[in-house]
Amino acid sequence: MNSMELPLVIFTVLSQGAVGLVALTAARQWAADGGGDLSPAPRTAWLTAMALLALGAFAALFHLGHMGGAVRTLANLESAWLSREGLALGATGALLLAGYLSPGLRARGAATAAAALGVAAVLVTSMTYAPAGFPALNNALPGVFFLLTAAVLGPALAAPFLPDAHQPVAMRALRAAMLVSLVINLVVPCVWLSGGTVMRLTGEAFLAAPLYWLRMALLAGSYALARGGRMPAWMLPLLVVQELLGRALFFMLPVHASVNIGNPF
Amino acid sequence: MKKQLGFLVDTEKCIGCFTCAMACKNVYHQQKGIAWRQVHPMGESIYPHRERAWLSLACNHCENPVCLEQCPVKAYAKREDGIVVHDQDACIGCGNCVRSCPYGAPKMNPVEKRAEKCSMCWQRIDAGLDPACVHSCPVGALSIADISTARLDGWVQYPAGYPEPKRLNPSTRFKAPRQPREIRRNDA
Repeated sequence: MNSMELPLVIFTVLSQGAVGLVALTAARQWAADGGGDLSPAPRTAWLTAMALLALGAFAALFHLGHMGGAVRTLANLESAWLSREGLALGATGALLLAGYLSPGLRARGAATAAAALGVAAVLVTSMTYAPAGFPALNNALPGVFFLLTAAVLGPALAAPFLPDAHQPVAMRALRAAMLVSLVINLVVPCVWLSGGTVMRLTGEAFLAAPLYWLRMALLAGSYALARGGRMPAWMLPLLVVQELLGRALFFMLPVHASVNIGNPF
Repeated sequence: MKKQLGFLVDTEKCIGCFTCAMACKNVYHQQKGIAWRQVHPMGESIYPHRERAWLSLACNHCENPVCLEQCPVKAYAKREDGIVVHDQDACIGCGNCVRSCPYGAPKMNPVEKRAEKCSMCWQRIDAGLDPACVHSCPVGALSIADISTARLDGWVQYPAGYPEPKRLNPSTRFKAPRQPREIRRNDA
């Protein structure tokens, strides 16, 4: 079992939640430009997204052995996904600030750019956590997991900032994201079972982990109880907890290829 | 192909004595639990005999090292002779190389909080000496060669029990262990 990498758990979940929130807010700003309702103003949502991103980035510093060197992580943009991740998330944060400071409440350009760059930043982040050393993750799956986190936490974080008329839309988006996340997170370990030895060991580790099933139960329970046109107040903390749990398992349970040296791959 | 020094591991000769790993430890004094060279027993599903066979592995000094590729602060460099060296002073301890290398060559030093790995004893090589592991092997199972020019008939790049990420093109070469000869009463 690997280290839980708690700083990275907090960083990835918060930054992806921020991106989901920005995407929902941007969509709302577009809808409002079509004649929809833009009250309450989205500025608080932008500010919340910025705070989440900043908090996540701060947490990530604690992952480094020498956090004073964090400023140098942009040195290898030509090949290191971690460098690109820093650039993409930094640019997303800058666009968030621009959107927040934009005159008028309908800064569609900044909203769209921040949402698009945010989604790109999530995919770039996922490449950092798809290393060659972990065959089960050395593929598109981290990107799928990370986008699902943004899709689940986005509507859940956006709901408090939405007018009553938009609450049912947010709930529908949340229920759809939860269902997709539930299915994918149940299917993926089963697919790993049919892979090579290291991938199979990873699948077995997930299916044998009580925390994995606890997370699935939390997600399934949230989905089952997410009825009506408004998100209950208890649902956001529950969804954040299950995402944190899922991300901790993402770092802890995958088996490194070197563990199996001397045995069939 | 440019000059590329690589370890040659003759698993037919290796007796699994761990002297190579100990020699490395004696020279570099890694922290407790950290070993730059490890001797992995081959599992019975690969070598199903009463005798055992071993894979003595350190950094493979790949042609396309993923540690160098993924290091955000460029703490890794590849020398002209193909040795991949790590500048620990530049390392910020992000652990990217540790996660990325499928062979588990870079290790995180828990005291320094920086990565470290086999350097193929480049200082010894520059002085005309063999790396400590090669120098200490009592049966001559370890050696180094320029794999871009050496004749390596009978040596393989990916033996059973060794990860096969072809993009990296690891420079270690192996001679497979001999299959034991079974002697039956009628043969005697």
